[in-house]
Parts: sequence; structure tokens; C-alpha cells
Amino acid sequence: MSKIILIGSPNSGKSLLFNRLTGLSQKVANFPGITVDVATGKLASAPDLSLMDFPGTYSLQPISGEERVATEYFSKALDDPDVTQVLCLVDITRLEKSLYFTLQVVRECARHGKRALVVANMMDVLARHNIEVDLEGLAAEIGAPVLPISARTGDGLDAVNDWLRNPVENRSENTALAETPDTLLRGTAHQLAGKYGPRGDLLVKTQARLDSFFLHSALGGFAFFAIMFLLFQSIFTWAAPAMDAVEAGLGALADTVVPMIGPQLAKDFTSDAIFSGLGAFLVFVPQIFVLTFVIGLLEDSGYMARAALICHKPLRLFGLTGKSFIPMLSGVACAIPGIYAARSVDSPMKRLLTYMAIPLMPCSARLPVYTLLIAAFIPNTTALGGLVGLQGLAMFCTYFFGMMTGLIVTGLVSRTREDHYTDLPFVLEMPPYRLPALPPLLRNCWNRCRHFITKAGSIIFTVTVVVWFLGYFPNYGADLGASWLGQIGQVVEPLFDPLGLDWRYGVAIMTSFLAREVFVGTLGTMFGIEGADENMVPLVDQIQATGLPLASGVALLFFFAIALMCVSTLAILARESGSYRLAAKMFLAYSAIAYLGAIGVFQLVSLFTG
Amino acid sequence: MSTSLWALRAGDQGRITGFGDALAESYRIRLLELGFHPGETVSCLQAPAFGAPKVFRVANTVFSLDDEVATHINVETDLA
Ligand SMILES: Nc1nc2c(ncn2[C@@H]2O[C@H](COP(=O)(O)OP(=O)(O)OP(=O)(O)O)[C@@H](O)[C@H]2O)c(=O)[nH]1
Ligand SMILES: [Mg+2]
Repeated sequence: MSKIILIGSPNSGKSLLFNRLTGLSQKVANFPGITVDVATGKLASAPDLSLMDFPGTYSLQPISGEERVATEYFSKALDDPDVTQVLCLVDITRLEKSLYFTLQVVRECARHGKRALVVANMMDVLARHNIEVDLEGLAAEIGAPVLPISARTGDGLDAVNDWLRNPVENRSENTALAETPDTLLRGTAHQLAGKYGPRGDLLVKTQARLDSFFLHSALGGFAFFAIMFLLFQSIFTWAAPAMDAVEAGLGALADTVVPMIGPQLAKDFTSDAIFSGLGAFLVFVPQIFVLTFVIGLLEDSGYMARAALICHKPLRLFGLTGKSFIPMLSGVACAIPGIYAARSVDSPMKRLLTYMAIPLMPCSARLPVYTLLIAAFIPNTTALGGLVGLQGLAMFCTYFFGMMTGLIVTGLVSRTREDHYTDLPFVLEMPPYRLPALPPLLRNCWNRCRHFITKAGSIIFTVTVVVWFLGYFPNYGADLGASWLGQIGQVVEPLFDPLGLDWRYGVAIMTSFLAREVFVGTLGTMFGIEGADENMVPLVDQIQATGLPLASGVALLFFFAIALMCVSTLAILARESGSYRLAAKMFLAYSAIAYLGAIGVFQLVSLFTG
Repeated sequence: MSTSLWALRAGDQGRITGFGDALAESYRIRLLELGFHPGETVSCLQAPAFGAPKVFRVANTVFSLDDEVATHINVETDLA
């Protein structure tokens, strides 16, 4: 089968064109650097041809590890006899940016005997502004055909399809180019862009007008907070009901299915392992969908690049970049979409730091744990003459503590890294503002959810079943305390002793590895209270009745703020970073910090409370 | 007058004269590839408060650069 490579500079519309030509759905977004790996698909019009969507690069001379992957892949492809053609996409509205790269590609094709086709994308934008460009003249100078298209509207795609199926011999024309070294090429690109690029300020004008609002020192800051506020609102108003619906739906399904099962063991397995296991990760799906959707809207409209700019300076203090902002912000709702969003952090080193910060953001699964502990240990009174509720204040401090820890960790780690100074510079292309295209966005949300369900689902499910197994046997679920899990809890009790906690809390902490909020339910079971995750009051009373010291409560809060107790996050982290070691290391490191820190906190608070 | 790109305020224009020695080679190449050529006119579109990266236009493309990069790009502001 012969292969065609699709290559071009970042944000030029490669993925959209790829989707058009193959009928597949690669992620499309108005932010440079969205595609990070190579996708392959068959041409819809000619199934014997396969097309490969490459990540965007500004040049064949890589300056970051990530780009090196793309360019090495490209040079390997050039040596592959199956690769017959190279489709090089340029954003015609910003020719300067893509032309040097195009010339390099055309030259390499000439050297390796591949056919090159240059495709000028975004012609619809030029048409809207009545700007004309001389593509024939350009084609003659670069020595490869140039076809006008709009990947958005679909104009010109037939011509591209025709060409790919029956390429006209064009190799002879670019012999002159084959000899040209990079330094000369750069000059040529510059000169050609000046000669053939679209003239006029029209294209930049709307962008500049909107920027003077969104980047205005006062108004821009206001807009920023308003948009972030809406983002969070959307999670609570759209995702929360959907999450409840998923839980209710699964519950109803379990209620109908479980009674039909005969043997008690199978019954318990279905209701507690299968349905709880499914529930444990399906509840994340609405959140992932909604967050991906809202972030996608922001990305595709072009606002994301502005948000990155606004946050760059403060985040740089902590070794991060403005591009880390959105991933970390989504981490405040849920770490999983945050980790997905970190793809758009182009510098590998900054992305690693972003991964480290995300699990420390106070995600919504921590909320029930915090609520329980604060209700049990912090008196429901007001301070400062009734201005602030003490419990609310405690919640705020716990949230703030998590975020600050995340920043401190990245700040410290970044300072120990050698490559701190040879990293990618902050040069971010400011894409024009665009009306988001909904179909690709929705398809992408769906893809994310599917990826999560298929890739993380199996890991989460396995862990759930193992934990269930340990908690169920050998006494068939009669008494969690006497189960293997309970026995393990008793064995490891000395571990929790320095926190002033008994083995029941130990078991609850161990099960919270499935998801943090499981802590509440398990603790309820240990105290013999049904449905503690629905109504916490009896459990709060129980905890208070056992006389657990305040120091233990604060130590637990500290522990949950830091520990990476979430198998879903770990699974996605391993998948996305491509490194199980990273996930394991982060889990161990954060567990150690959480545990040792909690001991310290316990001692400290005990000192004051006697 | 000869200054750095970072010194431009919103609305200012300058012609690139060269790059400072402290700028890493790889950054310099990248800037050239993006269109920051000596002789090219760059205009500063936005200079947000609090030292946030500034927004510059070169040819028909708009980039934001932070001070770590922009202070090493030399520009001439007398565009006679
Ligand atoms: N108006 C218009 N917009 C387009 C066209 N082609 C792509 N876009 C938009 O340009 C943006 C970038 O598209 P992508 O397909 O993600 O670009 P890419 O080249 O794959 O980008 P990276 O993967 O980041 O390198 C998206 O917002 C698209 O909707 C076009 O022909 N006209
Ligand atoms: Mg892409």
C-alpha cells in the first residue's frame, strides 16, 4: 500500500484536512501543537492510499525533543519506499510562518524522489476579505504544485483527491532547490513570502481589536476571571446532574439485575464489584466530557492562547509556563481531563512539571472527604464577628494548601533540573479568533471519553475487583473487619498509629486508592453505618463519639490533600506520559510526602492541643 | 534609537537589527524561522501590565514573546 505524509506548521489545519480526507476524527483545535503523535488513515476516495497526520513543526531543524520525534519520523518516512507522496499544508493567511518549512520539505522530497504537493489552506478567510494571491507564481518558484483549499468549507478538496490518486510527474522542476542549503533557503522563504503572501492588515485587524480588550490590563483581567468562573459553573451545572444521572442509572440497573442472580456469591460480585467498579469510573465520564467541551471551545475560539499569556508570568516563577494553566485549572475539577489537556504544553520538561502539579490540585473527589473531616473536627461556629464560618474557612485553607503545594513542588523540581535553561522559549503564536466548529469538537469530546473508558477502564476495573475480593473473603462479605482486607488493616495498623488512627481508618485509606471519595463509604461500613456517602451526619457523630483527636483530623486532611489516591489518575497519567514509571514514582513520592507530612502535622497539632 | 524588542510599547514599531549574544542558538534559529529576520519591521500590538508577555506582529503573523526572549532581540526604532 502506498503512503502519503501530511505535514505542515502548527495550527495550519492538518488535522482538519486529515479528517476530511479520511473521514476519521483527529483532534482539531485552534492552538498550536495539538497533535502530538502520528495518526494514520485510509483515504476515503482511494482506500489503497493511506494518509499520515504528523504533528506540526516550524522547521525540519528540531529544537525540542518533541519536535525531534516528528522530524526524525519524517526523515525515516522519506527513506521508506512505500511513501510516494508528501502533502505539505501551508496556512496561506500567514505564509511567512510556513514557507521556510515548505521549502525544506520540497527540497527533501526532491532529494529523496518523492512527489510533493503543496496545499494552501484557509482560502475561505482570504475570500472573505477579498484578498487574492498568485498561487501559480508561487508554485513556479518553489517547484511544486500549489492547490488552494479550505479544510473548513471543503472547497478544493476534490482537486487534492484527484491529484493524490493520479499525481502528475513534477520532479524535474525542483532540481535547483535540491542543492540549496538551509541558510539560503531561509532567505528565499522570506523573500517569497513578501512577494506572494497576502497583503493588507485586514487579517490582523480584527484580531488586534479583540486582543486590546482581552489583553487589556483591567478589562482583560476581568474577562479572564469571568471566563474561568463560567468554566467552573459549567462543570457544576452541566456535569454534576449528568454524574448524578450516571450513578442513579447504574443504581437502577443494579437493582433490576442483581435480584435476578441466583447464588449469593455471584449476586454480591455483581452488585459490589461489577456495579461499584463501573460506577467508580463511569461517574468521571460526564466531567471529562464537559471539561473537554468547554476547554475545546476556549481553544478553538483562540482564547486559550490569551489565557496562557496572562498566566505566564506568575507560573514561570514556579518553573511552569502559561500553557500549564489550563491543565492545572481543569485539575481543580478532576485530574484526568487536566492530564489530557497537558498535551498542549509543548516543552516536554514543562509538561512533566505540569503532570506533577495536576494531582495536587484539589479535585472534586476530595470534596466529600474534606466535608466529612471538617464537619467532624471543626466546630460549626463563626469567627471575626460572624463574618466567616470556621468550617468554610477550613475548606478554603485546605483547597489553597493543595494548590500552593502543587506550585511549590514544581518550583522546587524545576530548580533541580539541568535543562532548565535549554528549554523551549515562550514564543506562542497568537491564533486569530475563530468561531469554534462544533462537530469536530463534539467528536473530540466523545473520543476522550472513549479513550478514558477503554484505556483506564480495564486498570480501574481490575483494581476494584481485587479490592472487592480482599474485602469479601473469607467470610463472604459478612464482616468487612474480619475480611482479608480487615486483616491487612490490622497488620498495617502500626503504620497509622503515628497519626492517631486505628485500623478502621487504615482500611478506609487503603480502599480510597480506588477513588478518594470511597474513603467516606468504607469508613461508614466500618462503623456499621449504611449509606454514609449519602448522608454523613451519623458518621460524623460516630467519629466524634470515638473521641478521635483534632490532630488526627488535621493529619488526615493533610494526607488527602497530597496523596495521589486515585487509580484512574494514575492509569491516565501512565497512558498519556507513556511511562508507567513516572506514574509509579509520583504515586510513591506523593504517598511518602503525604504520610510523613501527616505524622509531622499530627505531632505539631498534638503539641498545641495537648 | 537602538533598543531591545522588549522595550517597545503598544503601538511602537521597530526594525530588527540582530540578536544578542546571550540568546541560545536554537532560539535564534527558531525566531528566524518564524519570520523575525534582521531588517524586518515588527510592531508591538499589546503590552499587557505586570510584565506579561507582549504581543508582536511580524509579517502577517502575531506572536507573544516573553522578556526572556524579547530582551535579546535588538531593534532600531527610527524607521526613517
Ligand atoms: N477558517 C478556516 N479555519 C480552518 C481551516 N482549516 C483549519 N482551520 C482551523 O484552524 C485551526 C487548526 O486546525 P488543526 O487541524 O487543529 O491544525 P493542525 O495543523 O492539525 O494543528 P497542530 O496539530 O496543532 O499542529 C482549527 O481551529 C480549525 O478549525 C480553513 O480552511 N479555514
Ligand atoms: Mg493536528
